[in-house]
Amino acid sequence: MTTQRAITARADRRLIRPHHRSKRFVLVQVTAPPATHERDRLPVNLAFVLDRSGSMSGEKIELAKRTISAALEHLDGRDRFSIVVYDDVVDLVVESTPGSAEARRNAMARLDAIDARGSTNLSEGWFRGAEQVASHLAADGVNRCLVLTDGLANKGLTDPVELAKHAAELRARGISTTTFGVGADFDEALLQGMADAGGGHFYFVRDAATIRDHITSEVGETLEIVARDVELEVVAAEDVGVEAISPQPTRPRGSRTVIGLGDLVAEQDLDVVLRITFPYGEIGRETGVIIGLSDRDGVFATDGRPSASDARLSWAYADDAANDAQPRDTDVDRAVATQFAARARQEAVRLNRAGDYASARRILDATGHRIRAYAGRDPALRGLVGELASEGDTFAAPMAPMALKEAHFASANMARTRDAQGRSVKRRG
Amino acid sequence: MAPTDAPRYSLTELADLAGVTPRTVRYYMSQGLLPSQGTSGPGAKYDDAHLVRLRLVRKLQREHLPLAEIRQRLAGLDDTTIANLADQPTEVTDPQDTALDYIRRVLGPAQVNPNRLAAINERPAAAYGLAREPMPAEPLLGAPAPITLGVEPAPSRSFERSQWERIPLAPDIELHVRRPLPRPLAKQVDRLVSIARDLLEEDPS
Repeated sequence: MTTQRAITARADRRLIRPHHRSKRFVLVQVTAPPATHERDRLPVNLAFVLDRSGSMSGEKIELAKRTISAALEHLDGRDRFSIVVYDDVVDLVVESTPGSAEARRNAMARLDAIDARGSTNLSEGWFRGAEQVASHLAADGVNRCLVLTDGLANKGLTDPVELAKHAAELRARGISTTTFGVGADFDEALLQGMADAGGGHFYFVRDAATIRDHITSEVGETLEIVARDVELEVVAAEDVGVEAISPQPTRPRGSRTVIGLGDLVAEQDLDVVLRITFPYGEIGRETGVIIGLSDRDGVFATDGRPSASDARLSWAYADDAANDAQPRDTDVDRAVATQFAARARQEAVRLNRAGDYASARRILDATGHRIRAYAGRDPALRGLVGELASEGDTFAAPMAPMALKEAHFASANMARTRDAQGRSVKRRG
Repeated sequence: MAPTDAPRYSLTELADLAGVTPRTVRYYMSQGLLPSQGTSGPGAKYDDAHLVRLRLVRKLQREHLPLAEIRQRLAGLDDTTIANLADQPTEVTDPQDTALDYIRRVLGPAQVNPNRLAAINERPAAAYGLAREPMPAEPLLGAPAPITLGVEPAPSRSFERSQWERIPLAPDIELHVRRPLPRPLAKQVDRLVSIARDLLEEDPS
């Protein structure tokens, strides 16, 4: 049994006002356990879904093919994989097969024979890949569909909301979806939405040369998953509101609020920021929340009891003078500011893309103002305020598609505790 | 995942989460409205069933029901019923169908032709023709018509028409299934296929 706590929780402030619906923020830091020798890694069941529409021709498709070949080398007989390619039609290149050396060799030969043409039926390619994963669903493994595209879906299902809904439905049935967008022409909101709802990850692949890095790192991470379907469960009094402001989905479950964290890799650190809204109360009264962690395989249970690692926080009602004078936890303030800045940046990307430059600037300025109100002398927070101000200038004029994608990917990663390349962050110490 | 059944709340926490004082909790226990814990000392722990029951008592009290009446109403109710009455039903969102059912419903039924797939799988890569030859008009999965995903919902008539599906389990073994099947049965068949394939893939030695 490790002494490392899987979950810690801190509040920005500990006092709340009696005649006000006070909002307080909580930074929950989750750390996944290391991979243990007693426990083998989980088997993976992957579908590689590759766009071979005309725009992929040349270097992009060649590198994608080579990378998938290289990724296959990491699999072995306990894993399964399949390969689907799509343009306007969808072809099953390799039917779901165990990852034996022979199957991998055959797959590479078949991949070799693919070249680019046609239009982009992303949805059907994805569904055919998911079908291959589903036909051999590994109950105790990681079942995931990896979708690579460089263009706008222009055949089949193309509505981002509907695609995200299907991703969530597949997720609920055990299959996650990861998306890779290559170059300047894909729709980042669509691919991000599929990955978020699908419990996987989204990667922005700047150019053909980085296709390899991203696919390799995603396949590497699926091989390192130690806890599946991790959920944060928050219990609070009925009139206390609980929601995540980091991008993880929040939903009620009986007397609790549940925040879905997806799968975690060995030693992964994940920051979740919660906003707690309190009702009026009498001075002196205390109220609290209990935050627990659970997962499908009971990895986070301590001594067989899921509740042993609960984090507990409480707040006290106090008069306005005491509230005004109370100390703040700067680490929590930074985490909160990071989330709101990420939201503002993503909204600014959307507005700039839509040609609404004034609104793009306004949303960045407004967020900067709010952060300045609690930044005090903290250099990190003041730095963030400065960044938002200068980005306001950039976003107030038309921006190149690649710059918008860079901005989206950077802020999306920050909000999800992932590094600049979209990789999970481990043991920051 | 079901709510944690393990007792995890102290008396103070239980009272806070239900919006009452610890004294009220003790009073309810003495009145038989809440099951009392074996130990009642400061170390006593309470579980979600206590919390939900306590919230229901509060709710009924707000409706001006006398405690005697509340006790009577609660007598003999199980935890699920109590959770429902307290407007805190335990989540039942687990999908009833499998991923494969779901995908096939979206894509429309794709009758896999095992012979065709087998033939493709046996063809060497060079003869596979992905590179230069035009693709066959018929999709590889053997669906009778081009799939119109998203253009219109999967046509319902394809579900009314029953058809035999041949599911290859191993090179020499097939399972024949008449589709469509009721969902629970389809789920069982998927499990059967998965178990059978695992079994048949095992090294016989």
